[in-house]
Amino acid sequence: MKRGKKALINAGTFAAFMGPSLIAFICVLLIPLVYGIYLTFTNYSPITGTQDYVGFQNFAAIFSDKEYLGQFLKTLRYVFYSTIFCNVLAFILAYLLTSNVKGQNFFRAGFFTPNLIGGIVLGYIWKFIFANVITLIGKSLEYEPLMMSFLTHPERAIWAMIIVTVWQYAGYLMMIYVAGFVSIPKDILEASDIDGATGLKKLFKVTIPMMVPSFIICFFISISRGFMSYDLNLALTNGQPYGSTRLAAMHIYQKAFQANQYGVGQAEAIVLFIAVAIAAVSQVLLTKRYEVEA
Amino acid sequence: MKRGRLVALALVFVMVAMALGACAGQGAVAEPAAPSTAPDTSKEAPASAAPTEEGAAPVKITYFNTSAEVNTMFEEMFARYHELHPNVTIELIPTGIGEGQQEKLQSLYASGNAPTFMNIDPANVIEYQDKLLDLTLESAPWLELLNDGALDAGIFDGKIYGIPWSVQGFGLLYNKRIVNEVYGGSFDPSTINTRDALRAFFEKIEAAGIPATMIHGENWSVGGHYLTLVYACHGPATTDGTGFIDALKAGTKKIEDDPIFQGFMDTFDLLKEYNYNKADPLVGDYNADALAFGQGKCATYFMGDWLWTVMVTLEGVEQDYGFLPVPWSNNPDDYGNTQVVMVLPKFQVIDKSQNTPEQQKAALDALEWMLTDPEGQQFFLDAGFCIPYKNVREDVTYNSMTTSIAEYAAKGKTINLGCFSYITGDAWTQTGNLMLQYLAGAIDRQQLAQGINEYWQSVK
Repeated sequence: MKRGKKALINAGTFAAFMGPSLIAFICVLLIPLVYGIYLTFTNYSPITGTQDYVGFQNFAAIFSDKEYLGQFLKTLRYVFYSTIFCNVLAFILAYLLTSNVKGQNFFRAGFFTPNLIGGIVLGYIWKFIFANVITLIGKSLEYEPLMMSFLTHPERAIWAMIIVTVWQYAGYLMMIYVAGFVSIPKDILEASDIDGATGLKKLFKVTIPMMVPSFIICFFISISRGFMSYDLNLALTNGQPYGSTRLAAMHIYQKAFQANQYGVGQAEAIVLFIAVAIAAVSQVLLTKRYEVEA
Repeated sequence: MKRGRLVALALVFVMVAMALGACAGQGAVAEPAAPSTAPDTSKEAPASAAPTEEGAAPVKITYFNTSAEVNTMFEEMFARYHELHPNVTIELIPTGIGEGQQEKLQSLYASGNAPTFMNIDPANVIEYQDKLLDLTLESAPWLELLNDGALDAGIFDGKIYGIPWSVQGFGLLYNKRIVNEVYGGSFDPSTINTRDALRAFFEKIEAAGIPATMIHGENWSVGGHYLTLVYACHGPATTDGTGFIDALKAGTKKIEDDPIFQGFMDTFDLLKEYNYNKADPLVGDYNADALAFGQGKCATYFMGDWLWTVMVTLEGVEQDYGFLPVPWSNNPDDYGNTQVVMVLPKFQVIDKSQNTPEQQKAALDALEWMLTDPEGQQFFLDAGFCIPYKNVREDVTYNSMTTSIAEYAAKGKTINLGCFSYITGDAWTQTGNLMLQYLAGAIDRQQLAQGINEYWQSVK
């Protein structure tokens, strides 16, 4: 009896604290996800109201959607390069800004700021820079490669997106790396000093292994954000030139809402979801093996 | 204490139940509700039952607007209408420029909150056809006031679903000052009726040191507008254009075998050659292009009279423009060589699937006032719209672009772009992207044609 009462009280406490967020989680995440998976097996259309079971037809349609496969590969490339450059730059910045540079707090805040600007605004700012500022510089220097906007050539437009992504996220990841650097126990660093480890050796043999948790988080963030990138894509290139920079998320949106193929769009979204999950989880599992105890 | 916890627990359960209930309810209304089961909104309307001439019960209706630039115009219009008819309250559901308008309408329908009447694109009229009220000249006799031919555009499958309310046009805009200077004031736009004439015109302007033309490097312009000319110029009837598209879909015709396509692409090559944006043709900056044209940096521009809404926001731009046709052959008698496009880009429609007959009637009455009453029409005229009704006051002066379109219309020299309504969904983005590749020189004409064929064959 007493035990039962305690369980009830526990449940009450749980409900009081977890209830609200649980409701929100169920309503805006779980139900849409499950309902979305259900929709992939139907020919749902919000206009006609039809919702008939069609089996795996929508998934089969993905494979005849050559464009999606192309965009998907392009997304992989975008994610790969932006993850690498973001993290390398963030790590270097964090390294420099934890080695007692003058005014390091100012620099930390400065590098973090781009992350506070929303993707849409950022996209328009950089669109202006690429289309107007850089071309103006190119024209005044009469330097051919800079005279054309970065955004009008399919290859260069993807790189423009990578540049802006790096600019946006490097500062954010830098903060996580800074926290990683700061949390390395001083005694270990001192011990390595005493053992005669200096410079790069200390960095690669002591600092980096101690910072694996930071790497896991940063890679996870940059990979998952890269796959789901939409706002920057929309504002900076909007898929231009001629649809060559439409990343997977944007393609799905257009498929579902503009071509009115909800089922196929939703199925493509599920495929993207699985891909992100595989990439992110395998990355975590792989990197975790390098984690060391202090 | 104990009671407090129990109360908290009970509250959370109630919250969960309510939240889940709300979610479940959303799924259930996906099926369109029959008009008879729609909620009796008369209860929600303000109880201030001011006596009206009919003594009608208060009605509350909603209006969905996709012409985002004139949300305020509609708001003012509805406020005035409420003063005249205190029993009718019209609530505006506005949309923003570049906002997901289709998505918003879809969600309104899916959640059972369909607007009573709305201003939408022709492609939407086709999509939502089953849910819209079909009108007749008996139920809405005032439709007789529409200009000749305008009503035809609103007829889909033999029934009147859409009520036209504004006219727009596109073609090759030209800067009258520049052209008159080059031609010494003796320029006659009707002489540009063949491709060779257009070439000679361009050469003359270039010789005067001014870039001759400009192409806007966006898919809606080169795909939605330029390429659509190919379909539309198959004949003055809407079915001429849609018939050609149907043949492309069925694969019985290849677009590269079509002389009109080849002709328009030859003209496109000519425009490309004299393009002001030639160095970087895909920049596609709408404001920058408008500014360049407005400041007289190039003499012509393939665009429509909606450009005026941007022009008025710019400083130091010229005011005097006219339209030229886009000739696709060297035979002046070919359809399209002496005409510019006139199109009815939006329609007023009434929903019948989720609104009561009283609401539908109220919406129809409101539309009659908006479109045919002088006071209602004045709102549109003040906003710069050209409305296709016979009883519009004759002393209005439009901007130079709209005036030019109206002149072509008065002479019957317009291209019927009716097939544009049937180019739904992603057609102009997809084929427009191919056109952009062609514009940038990334593919040749054969590849372009093949891509267009493939696109249409993939559409069901």
